[in-house]
Amino acid sequence: MDRRDFIASLGAATVASHLPMWAADAPVSSSRITLLHTNDTHSHIEPFGPGNGPISGLGGVARRATLVRQLRQQLGSVLLLDAGDTFQGTPYFNRYKGRLDYQLMRRLGYDAGTLGNHDFDNGVAMLVEAMESMEQLKHPNPPFAFVNCNFDFKGTPTLGRRVQPYLIREFPGIRVGITGVGVAFAGLVTPKNHEGLTWKDPYESLQPVVKRLREVEKADLVVVLSHLGYDMKGTAPDDLLMPGQVAGIDAIIGGHSHTFLDAPTRVPQVKGETLIFQVGFGGVNLGRMDFAVARGAIRSASGSSMPVLG
Amino acid sequence: MKLKSPSALFLFALLSCHLAAQQPGDKAEVIPITASIPEDAEVLKVIAPLAAEIKASFDLPLVQAPQGLFRSRRGEENLLGYWVSDVMRKAAEAVIGTPVRFVITNAGGLRANLRPGQLKVADIYEVMPFENELVVIELTGAEVIQVVKESIVRRGGEPCSGVKAVVGGTPEAATCTITWEDGSPIDPGAVVKVATSDYLYGGGDLIPTLKQGRKPFTTGLTIRQILLDQCAGLAKEKKDLLPPAPGRYTIPVPIQEAIRDRKFNF
Repeated sequence: MDRRDFIASLGAATVASHLPMWAADAPVSSSRITLLHTNDTHSHIEPFGPGNGPISGLGGVARRATLVRQLRQQLGSVLLLDAGDTFQGTPYFNRYKGRLDYQLMRRLGYDAGTLGNHDFDNGVAMLVEAMESMEQLKHPNPPFAFVNCNFDFKGTPTLGRRVQPYLIREFPGIRVGITGVGVAFAGLVTPKNHEGLTWKDPYESLQPVVKRLREVEKADLVVVLSHLGYDMKGTAPDDLLMPGQVAGIDAIIGGHSHTFLDAPTRVPQVKGETLIFQVGFGGVNLGRMDFAVARGAIRSASGSSMPVLG
Repeated sequence: MKLKSPSALFLFALLSCHLAAQQPGDKAEVIPITASIPEDAEVLKVIAPLAAEIKASFDLPLVQAPQGLFRSRRGEENLLGYWVSDVMRKAAEAVIGTPVRFVITNAGGLRANLRPGQLKVADIYEVMPFENELVVIELTGAEVIQVVKESIVRRGGEPCSGVKAVVGGTPEAATCTITWEDGSPIDPGAVVKVATSDYLYGGGDLIPTLKQGRKPFTTGLTIRQILLDQCAGLAKEKKDLLPPAPGRYTIPVPIQEAIRDRKFNF
């Protein structure tokens, strides 16, 4: 999207925010929520420089901050989420050890993130230190949450108490349940860097959590932040196979495989469908998925492009 | 929003009609973060002094690399990886004081190419952002051969130093000859010193035989630091950084493709 299109789209959204919701044909009880998301930002604080092919000049946290702020102002019910691998990739991580990455995420108003394999690159203690520095930051935005349901934190309570199996966020007319899953450590994280943590099968871990989100927590929308990878071709659990293994997920926000999808992949379910999305890496894109909930059921969600006026 | 002029009211009505026709929840898209989006002043204020600090240390010039060094592009060998392996070998030999016959590292751990021209400290950080340490272990000749075979099956041959592997035949009936770099045969029973990273020795990137290494010696040197030292040393001697010669892995294209499709094994 070029500058003209971008401004036009913001203009359209501004007008939309001044209209009565669903004036045309939607039921009065219908509500909507927008999920904005990133994955594998890998300490790319600044935009990519020249010489990086098609992603040259893209990205940058300061630009992302503007975009998120404007979309929040225009859309109201927004969740800002991340699918892990915030750390590692530029000298910013080597120098500031992930503290800067997490602090900036709080400044941008992230609601929740999950942990990727590279978030363990400096070990559990340094990961906790980065989380602590984000918690202690003096800023009007609250600290963001970490969600994961397939790591056993028994051996590392300092990390365990900072990561919750799931999170509920309430918006007018919508309860959103958010959980997360991480990739197996074997072959990706050196054992001393995940000491005290045990990886468990993500599908088996998700099943009771998603069931609880639906039946006990009465979530209208269930979102999984996944750092498993989009398509592991049968060699490991992945996002594409998840909807067939775990019923009741509305959206999978993926990471790990650095997959550039143009639109969410839609997997039909017995009831409704699951949308799987992933937007590359390095913060070059922001993903957006809108959901409408009418009388406690997801009414529509699709992969069509945002209409751009002007 | 205040709409005063008739034309503005007309535009408002036009947009209203268009938007009212949209079904709720039908928007999903990728929004590229382009230069057309202004930078947030508050965030920029946080980043600017840190960027200056980074720039001061990471913009320091290191060495000239007139040809650059590149990771394997389709069908080519990973000359950047070969250079890293050679530097690891030299550093390991300096630490333990005896010859290191074989080095293996992982292509996945090298995160950028070195583009031709004047290299800076930041370039080496981008190639090797990890804090991985150099480790020296002992393997038998048979285990060295097995490590090379495992790396071929998994990744088409991880960057190495000290050996040559020639794969022949077809994906269904492949042959493999692995020798020392000078072409001499590897004695399966000989015990040799091998250098690698603590990541690979710890089981990273799944080269299982490497984990069987005995008498591990953790050097305490990060691989990034030895790369930085090597570049600084070359600059001091007024030498350029040049890519090593190819020829460590010879693998026919159909077998390379089978490896990529994960349909190959010896």
